[in-house]
Amino acid sequence: MASLFQQSMPSTGPGYSFASAPTHHSSSGPRQHAFYPYTDNGGSTLGISGATFTILAGDTRSTSGYNINSRYAPKLFRIGGDGPENEGARIVLSVVGFAADGNALKERLDTMVKMYRYQHGKEISVHACAQRLSHILYGKRFFPYYVTAILGGLDDEGKGALYSYDPVGSYEREQCRAAGAASSLIMPFLDNQVNLKNQYDPASGEGLEKVMRVPEPLPQETVEQLVRDAFTSAVERHIEVGDGLQMMIITKEGVQETFTPLKKD
Amino acid sequence: MVGKDCVAIACDLRLGLQALTVSNNFPKIFSYGSQVHLGLTGLATDVSSVSELFRYKVNMYRLREERDISPQTFANLVSSSLYERRFGPWFVSPVVAGINQTDGKPFICGFDSIGCIDFAKDFIVSGTASDQLFGTCEGLWEPNLGPEDLFETISQALLNAVDRDALSGWGAHVYIIEKDKVTKRLLKGRQD
Amino acid sequence: MADRYSFSLTTFSPSGKLVQIEYALNAVNQGVTSLGIKAANGIVLATEKKSSTSLIDASSSSKISLITPNIGMVYAGMGPDYRVLVDKARKVSHTGYKRVYNEYPPTRILVQDVARVMQEATQSGGVRPYGVSLLIAGWDDGVLPEQERKEAEAEMGDDDEAKEKQVKSGGKTGGILKGGPSLYQVDPSGSYFPWKATAIGKSATSAKTFLEKRYTEGLELEDAVHIALLTLKETIEGEMNGDTVEIGIVGPPADHLLGYEGVEGARGPRFRKLSPQEIEDYLTNL
Repeated sequence: MASLFQQSMPSTGPGYSFASAPTHHSSSGPRQHAFYPYTDNGGSTLGISGATFTILAGDTRSTSGYNINSRYAPKLFRIGGDGPENEGARIVLSVVGFAADGNALKERLDTMVKMYRYQHGKEISVHACAQRLSHILYGKRFFPYYVTAILGGLDDEGKGALYSYDPVGSYEREQCRAAGAASSLIMPFLDNQVNLKNQYDPASGEGLEKVMRVPEPLPQETVEQLVRDAFTSAVERHIEVGDGLQMMIITKEGVQETFTPLKKD
Repeated sequence: MVGKDCVAIACDLRLGLQALTVSNNFPKIFSYGSQVHLGLTGLATDVSSVSELFRYKVNMYRLREERDISPQTFANLVSSSLYERRFGPWFVSPVVAGINQTDGKPFICGFDSIGCIDFAKDFIVSGTASDQLFGTCEGLWEPNLGPEDLFETISQALLNAVDRDALSGWGAHVYIIEKDKVTKRLLKGRQD
Repeated sequence: MADRYSFSLTTFSPSGKLVQIEYALNAVNQGVTSLGIKAANGIVLATEKKSSTSLIDASSSSKISLITPNIGMVYAGMGPDYRVLVDKARKVSHTGYKRVYNEYPPTRILVQDVARVMQEATQSGGVRPYGVSLLIAGWDDGVLPEQERKEAEAEMGDDDEAKEKQVKSGGKTGGILKGGPSLYQVDPSGSYFPWKATAIGKSATSAKTFLEKRYTEGLELEDAVHIALLTLKETIEGEMNGDTVEIGIVGPPADHLLGYEGVEGARGPRFRKLSPQEIEDYLTNL
C-alpha cells in the first residue's frame, strides 16, 4: 500500500552494482561504466537520555537490498577509553546507514578522542566530542559519510546527554532520537511515550482547559522496556531490522553492554 | 483497529496538493449501512468517486437483497470492484472496518489499489503516514481492548503518526464501532 | 388466421395475453411431473425419469441439477431448454455474484436472476420463451426460522424491542439475517413463487391436491422424502425404482462430498442428489 506513495522499503539508493550500469552492448559509442560509492546497509538505531544515564540501542542486522550480509554487525561503538577495546570509555557512538562509512567515522572519532586525552591530559567532555563529530562530518560535506549518527554520554552535570546528527554534521541535543531504516516507525512512538506528545492530564478539564502532560526524564527500567518495545515493533514491520538488539547503557559507573535476540525472519 | 467486540477506524482531515494544504476538513471515512465503514486514502478525486461508487453499489445491494451488507461481503465487493480497474486503477488504498451482524465478530481489512485484500487480526494502516502508523500501532496496540481503551489507542496512534508526517494532520475523525452502537468523535490535534 | 396474431412472437393479443407464453405453459403441462417439498431442516426435489425404451442408459442422464453448492434445480417441460437454463443459472451465479462478493448467491437472488433470463425471452425479438417451469431449492446462511421464532418469543416481554426485531429479521422474503431452506417455482413468463410444497408438470394438479393433504408444518427432511415418493407414486406411469426416480435434497452440509478433509471451517455442499441405492432404500420403506 505504502509503495504507491513513496519509495519501496528496501533502499533503491546508490550501491555497488553492476546491474545498474548501462547494459547495452552496441558496438557503436564508448562503453560506459559506473561506480556507486555508497550502499544502504539498513538497520535502525535509537537513543534515549535519562536523568543519570543514556541508552543507545541498535539492531545487529546488516543488509544489502533483500540480502542479509550479517546477523551480528554492531552499530554501537565505545569512543575513547584505553586501547583497542576502549576500556573505561564514557561515550558511545551509534551509526546507521552505510556500514563502511560508519566504521570509518567511528575510527576517526575514536582516534581523535584518544588524541585529545594525550594532548590535553583529560577526558573529552560529551559536548566537546559532539562538536568534534559535527566537524568531522562537515569536513566531508561534498563526499559525506553516508550515516546517521547518534552520540550518547553523560554531560558535565552527570545528566544523560544525547546528540543526533544528519550525514553532513547538522546536530542537536535531544531527549530521544530514532535513526535508520525504521526511524519513521519508531520516532512517532517515542514522541508519544518519551515526550508525552498528544497526551493530556486526565484530571484537567475539557476543551481549552486541558493541560498537556509535561515530559520528565524516565527511570532506567522504563526506558529499557521502551527500547525493547520499539525494536520488537520495528522488527515486526520492517524487513531490514532484526536478528539482535545491542544496547549500551552509559551511567557514571561506565558503559554496560547487553545483547538480546530479535526475530531472525 | 480491532478490539474486544468492537472495531475502530480513524482518519486525518487534511487535503493537500503536495505541500500545499487545500482543505483542512476532508474526512476520509465513509459509512455504508449502520456498521460497515470504508476509509480511503490516496488521490482525492478518486476518494470521492470511489466512495460514491460504493454508495451506489451498497444501496443497490440493499434494495436487491433486502438486507445490510456484511463487512466481509463488502470487502469482497471492494476487492472485485478495484480489480475491475486492474490496468487503470483507482489511486486509493482502502480500509474496511465493521462488525458482522450475524456472528457479532469484528472485521477489518485493507487493500492495495487493485484490490488485493490484507486480512489483519490487529490493525490496518494506509496513506502517506503509513510507516509512522505501522510504528505507533505496533507499539501501542494490544489484543482485547474495550471500546474506550481502543479509542484512546487508535487516537494516540493516529495523532502521533500524523504529527511526524508533513502531509497529514489537521485533526482527526475517530469511529468506534460496537455491535449496536457507533460512536464518532472529532479530535482537534495539531493544526499545522 | 383471423384469431391468430402473428406479427411477432412478442406481441400482445387484444385480450392482453402473450399467447407464446401460454403455449410454453402448455409445453410445461405436458412435461413429466416434478415436485418439491420444504421441510424444517431441508428441502426435497423429486421427479420421474421417464424413458421411451429400455435401451436408454438411465444412469447417465439426469434431470435434477446442482446450481451452487447449496442450491439445486429440477424442471417440467422441455429438456433441452432446461439444460440451457442450468448453464445460464450456473454462469450467472458466478459472474453476477460469486466473482463480485466471493460468496454464492442466496436462493432468492438466484431465482430472480433465472427469472430475468426467462422473462427476457418473452420480450426479445427472434426468440421464443423457455418451455419449462423450474423448481429451485436452496439453503441460505443466516438466522434460521425456528431460531428466529424462539428469539422473538423470548423477547416478547419487551414490546418495542420485539417489534424492532420483527422488522429487522423480516417476515418478508428476505430480511436482514434470514436463513434456512426455501423453495421457488419459476414459470416461462418469468414469474416466480415461493412454496412450502408444490408440483409442476403433467400431474401437477393432482399432485398438489395430494400434497395439501399430506403436508404438515415443521416437517422433517426424512418425512419430506417419504411424502415426495408417495406423491410421485400417485402420478407415476411406469415402474418405481432407483433408476426411474430422481431425488435431490438440500440438507445438512455433506462434508464427505468435499473431496478433502482437515480444513477448519470448510463445509461440504448442502445440495446433493440421492444415489439409486439410497432411493431404493426409501422405496422399500414406503
